Amino acid sequence: MINEITLKQVLPCVFKGMEDTERIRTSQIWEVPSFVFNKGCKICIQAESGCGKSSLLSFIFGNRSDYSGQILFDGKDVRRFSVERWCDIRTRNIALLPQEMRLFPELTVMQNISIKNDKTGFKTEAEIMGFLERLGIADKRDALVGKLSIGQQQRVGVIRTLCQPYDFIFLDEPVSHLDETNNRIVSEIVEEEAGRQSAGIISTSVGNHLLLTSPQFVSL
Amino acid sequence: MIKWFKSDKNIWTLLKRNISKGQMTGYILSNIIGLSVVLIGLMFYLDSNHSTEKEDSFFSQDFMVLSKRVDGIGFEPVSFSEEEIEELKSQPWVKKIGQFTSSQFSVKASIDMGGHGLSSYLFCESVPDDFFDVRPRDWDFDPQEGFVPIMLSKDYLMLYNFGFAIPQGLPQVSENVIGAVPIRLTLSGPDHFSETYDAAIVGFSSRLNTIAVPQSFMDWANQRYGGEDIGGEESNPSRLIVEIDRLSSSDAHKYLEEHEIEIAGDKANDGNISRFLRASSLMVTLNGVLISSLAVFILVLSIFLLLQKSKEKLRYLMLLGYSPAEIGSYYERIVAVVNLIVAIVALIITLSLRHLWTGQLKEIGLGDASVFPLISATIVYFILITGLNVLIIRRTLKKDWQN
Repeated sequence: MINEITLKQVLPCVFKGMEDTERIRTSQIWEVPSFVFNKGCKICIQAESGCGKSSLLSFIFGNRSDYSGQILFDGKDVRRFSVERWCDIRTRNIALLPQEMRLFPELTVMQNISIKNDKTGFKTEAEIMGFLERLGIADKRDALVGKLSIGQQQRVGVIRTLCQPYDFIFLDEPVSHLDETNNRIVSEIVEEEAGRQSAGIISTSVGNHLLLTSPQFVSL
Repeated sequence: MIKWFKSDKNIWTLLKRNISKGQMTGYILSNIIGLSVVLIGLMFYLDSNHSTEKEDSFFSQDFMVLSKRVDGIGFEPVSFSEEEIEELKSQPWVKKIGQFTSSQFSVKASIDMGGHGLSSYLFCESVPDDFFDVRPRDWDFDPQEGFVPIMLSKDYLMLYNFGFAIPQGLPQVSENVIGAVPIRLTLSGPDHFSETYDAAIVGFSSRLNTIAVPQSFMDWANQRYGGEDIGGEESNPSRLIVEIDRLSSSDAHKYLEEHEIEIAGDKANDGNISRFLRASSLMVTLNGVLISSLAVFILVLSIFLLLQKSKEKLRYLMLLGYSPAEIGSYYERIVAVVNLIVAIVALIITLSLRHLWTGQLKEIGLGDASVFPLISATIVYFILITGLNVLIIRRTLKKDWQN
């Protein structure tokens, strides 16, 4: 279990030399001595495009390491984590919905979801069908993901992200292509699911943000 | 839980899309050809190195007759000293050494052929009985019976039949006929004390290049007719018969060359034939190795291409929590199955083509080698190639993780 994620003076390498600019100085995350995500938090990170939202999530997910400073999981520097440790974290401690979703267009909706669920065995087929129904795409379960609209794909991505246990769930612009109704349903499902595991929810947005109840807004 | 839920078929569905059937078929075909050539070369090598002859294996490939080189005209008998024999015995390629015992008395053989008397002075030699695999019938001597069995070189019969009998207007004779001819042997020692014995030719050897009599007879006769003065030379034989260890026989020729020792009879030719066969099978094997290496190269290239093509998918799978080792195992299974198919098919091809050469090899007394080394080689090949492939897959995936 991971109880807190601490960022210490983290700055993407591409921002090197820009430490004194307005953008970095006003940021509540980049280059601050210590920023902590606690288990159970609800945070909306708001930023304009190009501020490094996706980079931040990639750093935390161990997907990229082109940053300076330190990222600590319960005080342990993630740079020292082994491949096995990361795989374990990605199936049990941290869930991530990347902005580009990274679905497999050649697989069906159900295949895309179960490729994750096969690994974790976290949800039953009925539960998955329940999610699909609530999000109005149950009839698409056997459709190829490549044939779906971006909004539909976004909902598939959210469901797949929920198919694992986690202490923190990171959602990168999860509702950018959803209408308000679907945004509300996604928000409800995410809060229900995260609440059941007392997990922290960290969502990013450029404009249309996840409608969480009383979230903390942080600007990047 | 519903079946598909636990199965990994979704990953298969995902990964198999990038596998090029053309490349895979190309690899399988070229490697089957390459490996078959390797195995055919190997089987041929084993067969041409394996003697089937049980009978008359006196002086077969496992045996060599050695004598010292005679330079100019030598009046001193050229013989092996005790030290030289000891040194030979210590060579790794020598399994067993036997000494030729030559007669130390004079032998005169006479034949009565329909009134035509024929007589000639002869020599005879003997070697210890251990050096016979199969001894001719009656290959023993009992002073009470007074019958001496003789074994002749086949060459002598040929020389008589084709070189001597025709121009002299004498009849040509077969082995059976000659065996039935009664021979009278008159043995006399230095003091001209002589006795006569019945004898017959009981066998022919294609490799034994002498007139051989049983050791028991030779020992007895040397004692009886040899006399004291010549007896001293007994311990210095001029010819030796050596059973060689084929595994280290390559050193033998070098050693013999250095010590000016000659290999007698057609043994050397035999060695040449089998060396030629071995050399040609080596060439075949080398070609096979070349084809196989190219095929393996194709596979390695295909794996690289496949992993490169699937790179994005693999990265996505890793983001879902699949480890490089887990993802790699799918490719490793494919590679193992493909290599197994190649190995089995190549083995079947080799064994079914074996009849092409067994007939001809049998005629010269070779073939029928065990297939165990062939199967072992196939297994070793399978393990090595699959191991190499697995190594490449793991390293590539590890690199993918880091990038």
